Amino acid sequence: MNKKAWIQDMKAIPFLLPFLLAYLIFTIFPIFKGLEMSLYDWNLVRKMEFVGLENYVEMVQDPNFWQTLWNTTLFVMLTTPTMVLLALGLSLLANLNTKLKTFFRGSFFIPSILSVAVISFLAIFMLQPYTGLVNTVLQSIGINAEPFWMADKGLAWVSIVVVTLWWSVGFNMILFLTSLQDIPDALYEASEIDGASRWKQFRYITLPQLIPIGRVVILLQILASYKVFAQILLITGGGPGGATRPLIQYIYEIGFTQNNLGYAATMSYALFFILLILSVIQLKNQRMEEK
Amino acid sequence: MAAKTTSNSRRALDRNRDPFLKGKITIGIVVSILFIAPIIWMLFVSIKPDGFSTSTPIEWFLPPYTISNYITIIMDSLILRWLFNSFFVAFVTTILTLIITSLAAFAISQMKFRFKNFIFIFFLLGLMIPGEATIIPLYEIVKNMNLIDSYSGLILPMIASPLGVIILKSFFDNVPKEIIESAIIDGCSYFKLFYKIVLPLAKPAIAAIGIFTFIGSWNNFLWPYLSILSETLYTLPVGLPVFNSTYSQAYVLPMTANAIASIPVIIAFLLFEKQIVKGISFTGIKG
Repeated sequence: MNKKAWIQDMKAIPFLLPFLLAYLIFTIFPIFKGLEMSLYDWNLVRKMEFVGLENYVEMVQDPNFWQTLWNTTLFVMLTTPTMVLLALGLSLLANLNTKLKTFFRGSFFIPSILSVAVISFLAIFMLQPYTGLVNTVLQSIGINAEPFWMADKGLAWVSIVVVTLWWSVGFNMILFLTSLQDIPDALYEASEIDGASRWKQFRYITLPQLIPIGRVVILLQILASYKVFAQILLITGGGPGGATRPLIQYIYEIGFTQNNLGYAATMSYALFFILLILSVIQLKNQRMEEK
Repeated sequence: MAAKTTSNSRRALDRNRDPFLKGKITIGIVVSILFIAPIIWMLFVSIKPDGFSTSTPIEWFLPPYTISNYITIIMDSLILRWLFNSFFVAFVTTILTLIITSLAAFAISQMKFRFKNFIFIFFLLGLMIPGEATIIPLYEIVKNMNLIDSYSGLILPMIASPLGVIILKSFFDNVPKEIIESAIIDGCSYFKLFYKIVLPLAKPAIAAIGIFTFIGSWNNFLWPYLSILSETLYTLPVGLPVFNSTYSQAYVLPMTANAIASIPVIIAFLLFEKQIVKGISFTGIKG
């Protein structure tokens, strides 16, 4: 009996091993390696000396850590509600009863297939003072304000949020659109017989039917926004004066510019736990949806 | 058939009932144009003569046109090389991901072995591990393997996708038991069963995972930004900003570089739009 089980195990090993190896080395091992690194003074070349919890103490007292964590949180708070509303609105447009709806869907989605390098570069040149497309269009319709989009803290945030929405709303729009198309026609027919107005249909049929997917979109968006880095680095570089610098950029700078991988690993751990908690919530929610 | 008729009649009814349909379509057109305007602008700027600049927006879209920027970029920059790197890395990442995830999913779905549940739950945990937050230790590990600044270093850390295993497992679970049992009675080996019978039945899932792995790798920024040092090994997302930053006021040449980077994906999108949209509703809801 035991021998037979052993033969079965041997048969399964070639199937499991390739994935298991890659998973252990590149997904699981970094968690433990990160813990070790956070307990050492560790630079880009080698491990230095054991410092215990010193890196953690430094983190708690580091105003830049709190500032960049706040910036990331602010980005989450700015993008999540706007993203959900915009995705919902666009999905309603892409679900209109018209031949143009595939064109609508394609237009809303196409920015998200572009590389972050391309969309950031487009943003920089479109928002450039004096010659950028946005300011010249503002000029031509009679607004002579000449805003410096990257130099002002508020405007820099507006730029980053608008670019992020434009770039990544397509994915969420498709999730809403799929749900819209899954709403049974019978619900609308029954309410039409009862003489419900279109607004009432939207309010009492469409919206409630979209709540489950809405919850998924919100959680996915929070999770994705906490990982923000590339478009901010490329558009504002974290400026002006660090006002838009996200946590991942700070971690990168500490590790690779200031040559302190130990402290960078420590702050990564903080991010790790924030994201871990959020994904546990997200997976719990999804489990609930599936039931 | 019956369902289709009712939905058509409802749509007909809608058209009569919605007094604002025309207005909504107009809003849709305006918003669509706003969404694609920057991309259209990029394409027009890329065919303007080098050094062109204007403060009258409409002039960006008017002749004269030229393709000489494309020739300059292709001959004098590394953009084509980076395009190749991005494509090569995305392609190999996708193939390896599909191979190792489908093998593992097959074992968990169809084979008997000890600790199976434990191993499956261990894989599920991976869904909760954010790669962005373990990238510093990952860098150290890849450095110790001497894979920093190499294609292998770009590809190998990205192939173990727990989500891929989970989606494929649920697909393999749905393969009818009779097919599997009769194949085993006929003396079919597990490996033959895997690639002759089970794998072909999971084509939709494989297509969806393949498309998403490819797009994910194509757009990956953080990892290549950290792990690649040589210009010749840059992928597009890392190389383009370096190239762009050498031009601070001139639009035309960097815009051409961006257009060259974007045209292949735009064509791919137009060709595969249906599959991509299907894939999103498929994998998006699962995580």
